[in-house]
Amino acid sequence: MTDTRSRRLVSRPYLTYALQRVVQAAVVVLLAYCFTFLVISVLPGDPVSNTLRNPENNFTEDEIARIIGYYGLDQPIHVQLWESLTRFLRLDLGVSLRSNLPVSRAISEVIGSTVVLALSALVVAVVLAFGVAYGVRNLPTPLARPLRALPSLFLSVPNFVIGLLLINVFAFQLGLFFVTDSEGGTATFFAAVALGIPVSAQIAEVLIANLDHESRQEYASFATSRGLSRSRLFWRHLLKPSSLPVVTVIALTVGELLGGALITETIFGRTGIGSLVQRAVTTQDLPVLQAVVVLAAVTFVVVNLVVDLVYPLLDPRVDLRGATKRVRPVTEAVPA
Amino acid sequence: MTTITTEAPQAPGGWKPSALRRGGGSRRVPPVGVLLSFTMLLLVVGWSLAPGLFTGQDPARGVPAEAFQGPSLAHLFGTDHLGRDEFARVVHGSASSVTSALVAVAIGVVVGGLVGLVAGFIGSWVDVVLSRVVDVLLAIPSFLLAVVVVSALGFETINAAIATGVSAVAVFARVMRSEVLKTRRAVFVEASLLLGGSRWHVLVRHVLPNASRSVLNLAVLQFGLSILVIAGLAFLGYGDPPPASDWGLLVSSGKDYPLAPWLVYAPAVVTIATVLSANRISRWLRKTD
Repeated sequence: MTDTRSRRLVSRPYLTYALQRVVQAAVVVLLAYCFTFLVISVLPGDPVSNTLRNPENNFTEDEIARIIGYYGLDQPIHVQLWESLTRFLRLDLGVSLRSNLPVSRAISEVIGSTVVLALSALVVAVVLAFGVAYGVRNLPTPLARPLRALPSLFLSVPNFVIGLLLINVFAFQLGLFFVTDSEGGTATFFAAVALGIPVSAQIAEVLIANLDHESRQEYASFATSRGLSRSRLFWRHLLKPSSLPVVTVIALTVGELLGGALITETIFGRTGIGSLVQRAVTTQDLPVLQAVVVLAAVTFVVVNLVVDLVYPLLDPRVDLRGATKRVRPVTEAVPA
Repeated sequence: MTTITTEAPQAPGGWKPSALRRGGGSRRVPPVGVLLSFTMLLLVVGWSLAPGLFTGQDPARGVPAEAFQGPSLAHLFGTDHLGRDEFARVVHGSASSVTSALVAVAIGVVVGGLVGLVAGFIGSWVDVVLSRVVDVLLAIPSFLLAVVVVSALGFETINAAIATGVSAVAVFARVMRSEVLKTRRAVFVEASLLLGGSRWHVLVRHVLPNASRSVLNLAVLQFGLSILVIAGLAFLGYGDPPPASDWGLLVSSGKDYPLAPWLVYAPAVVTIATVLSANRISRWLRKTD
């Protein structure tokens, strides 16, 4: 007695689809590594003389020779790429040119702060997006109309401006938190708001578009004609089919969160991946830069892979039999 | 009794034959918001082309005695710590901010458009390879990608523009590819081929005109986004150094003087208004499609 759900889990179309997506994801990560490597190798200036021979770093000639040999910096570019790629496949991210410590350690020291920030920002974004969408559907028109324009405004404000505004109002004027205590709870909350607002706009736009679409369906008019109130209709009927595709959008915003963290961390004076990247850029610490980009790509690919794999199980309407490449419902307000 | 559907049946895929599209465009007057948006963009483009027409002040000359003056008729956006007119700095800074965004969009349209066109039109293994490349570009967070590219090219505003363009290539490629695929399957394209039209003829006469609308739309949207990305890069100091007055850089240097908030708000509001206008126009173009 296998129930239908478990039979569907192992169904042939799903397995084919899953396998295809996993292979695709792996290829994308490897290509992303190569791409970053090639872009970074175009860097003007010689990282060896710039960084290793900088008297501040205190490298002995032996250490310099060891690092040059390790990275194969005296080799032609395709050999370097191959060496670097095989190291990456052994999960070795290399050694920082600045601190002479393993890159993985430099990253693991700061990643916690960024993860906390990004996850809180995601929560803020989702809550805000659903709040706006609820208001747009349920408030009286004079209130709902300006609310409809809100996502567009959120998308148009540079996130450093939001950050500066929040700091100015809540730290300097209201004294709710101190900029010096950048990792504290309140400071983290406001940093998350600054990072989350632009992200919330994307989620809200799709959510509102889906809600509008669902409300034009026959079942919605039928429910209304049966006498269901607006908010009842929203909670009971519209919300579920409208928010499923939002899962895919949320997965796509991972990149925004990681990219935006660069600026938000700078403004709020947090020590995280963002400040690591900034330091790596100014000191031309290529292995760190390479590692962060790959880490971001891996995060993006894995999150989207998981969503793509889980989605057909969440939404039985998705038919995999005819699917060749990618099963993706309408997740964009922009017809792309 | 039998007809419950009120919506008119739509052509699958939403395409229209190119001939219909050209003649049947709506000639309605755009709404006020859209007109305002066009005015704003025209103003900003005017600032960047001929800054001298809009401000008589020299953006680089400071009058120390007039430092930190609030907004007034003499100085619309106030003055900064050296007594330089902030309005003049914003107006003169728009040349590099707006031009950079245009360069970025141009790179996105040309490179991304070509990639999408080739992938969609040739298909087969070319499509598979190019789609994976686009996936790679999409997988790297666009701002991070822009930072890496600009650090590879050197900290200059033009490089920031190129970096922003590179990070926009993937989006354009994806839209172009899907438009091309959509049109290629259309019946009128099949008819054109059956009538003896060459692939080149189909490409120029049918595929490109049909795709151009979506791409134009995206280009306007991307113009706004590029302004944000370039402002972000300038804010972090990856653009031209301080004598320049890119909007992002103005905000960045203004934030050090919390007692002169106009130094942050003036360039910020100009940036927001510009991006908002681009978004509004893009939305309107989509609707009138």
